[in-house]
Amino acid sequence: MNSTEESQRDFSAPDIVEGIAHVVAVEGTMVWLEPEQTTSCGSCASSSACGAKGGIGTTANRLEARRFALENHPGLVVGERVVVGIRENALIKASLTAYAIPLATMLGAGAMAQWAAGSDGITMAAMVAGLAIGLGISRLSAGHMFSRGDLAPRFIRRANTGVVCKIT
Amino acid sequence: MKEYILLMVSAALVNNVILARFLGLCSFMGVTTRIDTAVGMGLATTFVITVSSMVNWAVGAYLLEPYNLWYLRTVTFIMVIAAAVQFTELTVKKVSPQLFQMLGIYLPLITTNCAVLGIAILLVEGRMSFIGATLFAFASSIGYSLVMVIFAGLRERMALADIPRLFAGPPIGFIVASLLALAFMGFSGMSTTG
Repeated sequence: MNSTEESQRDFSAPDIVEGIAHVVAVEGTMVWLEPEQTTSCGSCASSSACGAKGGIGTTANRLEARRFALENHPGLVVGERVVVGIRENALIKASLTAYAIPLATMLGAGAMAQWAAGSDGITMAAMVAGLAIGLGISRLSAGHMFSRGDLAPRFIRRANTGVVCKIT
Repeated sequence: MKEYILLMVSAALVNNVILARFLGLCSFMGVTTRIDTAVGMGLATTFVITVSSMVNWAVGAYLLEPYNLWYLRTVTFIMVIAAAVQFTELTVKKVSPQLFQMLGIYLPLITTNCAVLGIAILLVEGRMSFIGATLFAFASSIGYSLVMVIFAGLRERMALADIPRLFAGPPIGFIVASLLALAFMGFSGMSTTG
């Protein structure tokens, strides 16, 4: 990046992580998209023999499970490839919500039970209860994030031919 | 209390899963091109390792040991890890389908991550209490996530650096990983025996 581009860049604007998806269905004003993405190690030289790609829960199954809907403003048709994006910090927020909250409540409950009772059985039961409480808090937090639109991907532009996904 | 803190420091830094035990190198090289993907993978792995270690400890203490079935530990632990990944996947899907859409792609990589099985086997060899085993597993996975994020940050900077074509991509990645491992060797001078 040269100095002119650097000086013109708006650092206050939220960065967008882009990915390629293709349109698999159009339903009224909504369009269903499927991400064009292999597993993160899909480009590895051993990918053809790797357990992460084949067997139960194949990449195709998982991509189908990760279909998402967008409003069809730009008049997209089935088969078209588009660039979609999410805010750069959305993935970190989502990870913290899904995993860090249940872990914190689970370990907190376990530590308190160990300090109070000092028995493996009671600690185990307290950690399971803490995990359940943490998952409940995660659910509330995720609902709050979704209602603010933090987790929703957005349409950026139509993808040019030959453009490949750079997300890993 | 002090022994648990020392145990966690030892697991996270002194005997780091990636840079001291050399486990989980596939995800270390594969999912560290961006910091946010490294954080996503690190937290997912931390969750799975902690939950599966709790279950593995219980299976070992209440099933394998009383019935003298230790020779089945590897296959049993693999089954428990696969079940823990499925449990995580179903739970995240149930908690929030939107979160699952963003994070679900990392979960199949955890099933085949040797760090998860390696930690489970280290736990049974350590013969720890339940809380000790859980904290060891948690700290080990925090060490894994820490190294993933540090390496992802370095790779983001390397993407902007003027690197000779011969070294661009994985070669410079391996060189940086080896320098990072040397830096972490400095922690081996710390005493964690109290």
